[in-house]
Amino acid sequence: MWRWLSEALAVAGKDLRTEFRTRVALNSLGLFALTVLAAVSYTVGPYRIAVEDRPFLLAVLLWIVVFFAALAGLDRSFVKEEESHTAPLLRLAASPPAVWFGKLVYNLCLIYALMAILVPLYCILMGYKIVLLRAFVVILVLGGYTLAVVTTIIAAIIARAMTRGALFSVLSLPLLLPLMIFLIQGTTGASEGSAETVTNTIRAVLSMGGIMTIVSAVLFPVVWNE
Amino acid sequence: MTDGIRISFSDVAKRYDLRVIFKAISGEAVPGEVLVITGSNGSGKSTLLSILCGLLRPTRGDIRHLRGETEIGREDWRMDLGVVAPSMAVYEELDAMENLRFFARVRGLGPSEDRCREGLQAVGLDPDRRTLVRGFSTGMAQRLKIAQALLHDPAVLVLDEPGSNLDPGGKDWLEEHVRSLAASGKTVLLATNDPREMEWGSRHVALAV
Repeated sequence: MWRWLSEALAVAGKDLRTEFRTRVALNSLGLFALTVLAAVSYTVGPYRIAVEDRPFLLAVLLWIVVFFAALAGLDRSFVKEEESHTAPLLRLAASPPAVWFGKLVYNLCLIYALMAILVPLYCILMGYKIVLLRAFVVILVLGGYTLAVVTTIIAAIIARAMTRGALFSVLSLPLLLPLMIFLIQGTTGASEGSAETVTNTIRAVLSMGGIMTIVSAVLFPVVWNE
Repeated sequence: MTDGIRISFSDVAKRYDLRVIFKAISGEAVPGEVLVITGSNGSGKSTLLSILCGLLRPTRGDIRHLRGETEIGREDWRMDLGVVAPSMAVYEELDAMENLRFFARVRGLGPSEDRCREGLQAVGLDPDRRTLVRGFSTGMAQRLKIAQALLHDPAVLVLDEPGSNLDPGGKDWLEEHVRSLAASGKTVLLATNDPREMEWGSRHVALAV
C-alpha cells in the first residue's frame, strides 16, 4: 500500500514539477478562467441581474467558468506524455494504478488551485453572497474532485487519438453535464440558505464521485495498457 | 544464472490494418546471451521489440517470458525489464538526477540517491549538473536513457539501436558493458543495423521487408 502510494506521489510530483517549469496547463486554465471572469464581470457585473435571480444565475455562470477552464487544461496530464514520447517508459516503469492515482492527484492540484483563486475573485467581482459558507466549500471540494476524476479518465482515453482536443470535450460533456446541474443546484442552495438543497446536492455529487472513482480505477489499467 | 529470464516467441506476426509489418517470426532470447535482431529500415525491428516488451499486442503468435519454467506476471516483468529505444524518451523538463530519482521511485527502489549518482557516473554524466534534459545533446540524452534502463539492475535488457548518437568512447563503454551484462547471466535483446553491434550477439533473428 505504502509503496503504491509512494509511486503515485512520484508521478504527481513529477507532473507538478514539469508543469511549473513549462506552465502549459496552468496558462490554459488560468488564462481561460480569468478572461471569462473579466468578460462576465464587465458585461454582467453585480447589479445587472435582479436580486431574486442572483443565487441561481450567478451559480450557473460560476460553474460554466470552472468547467470550461477545466476542459481547456486538464487533458494535458496524459496528452503531454504521448506528445513527448515519455508514455512508453512510464508504462514499463510504473504500475497502472499508481499512474492513474498520480495523474488524478496532479489534476486535483490544478483544479483546486484554479478554484482557490477564481471562486473568491468571482464572488467579490460579481457580489455573490453565500449564506451557507461551509456547505459551499464542501460543494466546491466535492465538485472539484468529481471533475478531476472524470477529466483524468477521459484524458487517458483520448491521449492516443489523433483528434484529441475535440474528443476530450465531446466525451467529457455527457459525463460532466449532470454533475454541473447538481453543482449549480447546490451552489444556489448555499447562496439562498437552503440546507435541504445543499444536502441533496452533496449526496448526489458524493455518489457520482464515488461511482466515477471506482469505474476509473477499474477501467484505467485497460485503457493505459491497450 | 538460475534467476535468468528466457523470452521465447514463435510465429509472431504484426499487421496494421492491411499493412503487414512482419509475419511468422520465431526466436528465443536466453540468459547469458545477446539476441540480435537485424533488418533493413521499416522491417519492424522496433515493433518486434515493443511486442516482446509487452507494449504492443501481436496480430498473431505466442510470446512467453519464463523464469525457469514459470511464466512471469506483468508486475514482475515490469521490474525485470530495462529498455533503451529511440521511441522512448526521458523527461525533458527534468534534469538527469531528477529523471533517475523519478524512475527509481516508480519502480519502488526505495532510498536510491547513491544508486542514481552511481548510475549517472557509470554512463559518463555528472550527477551534480542541473541542466534540464532539453538542453542535453542527443548523445548525452542517450547516455541518460541507458542509465535509466540499468538503474534497477534488470534481468532483461532490451536495446534498440543503443549506440546511435554515442561517441566512440561511449560505444566502447557500451560494448564492454553489454558483454559483461550478458556474461553475468542477463538476457539481452538488441535491434541494430550496426555491423559492430551485430557481433555482440550469439543468436540472430533477421527481418525482411
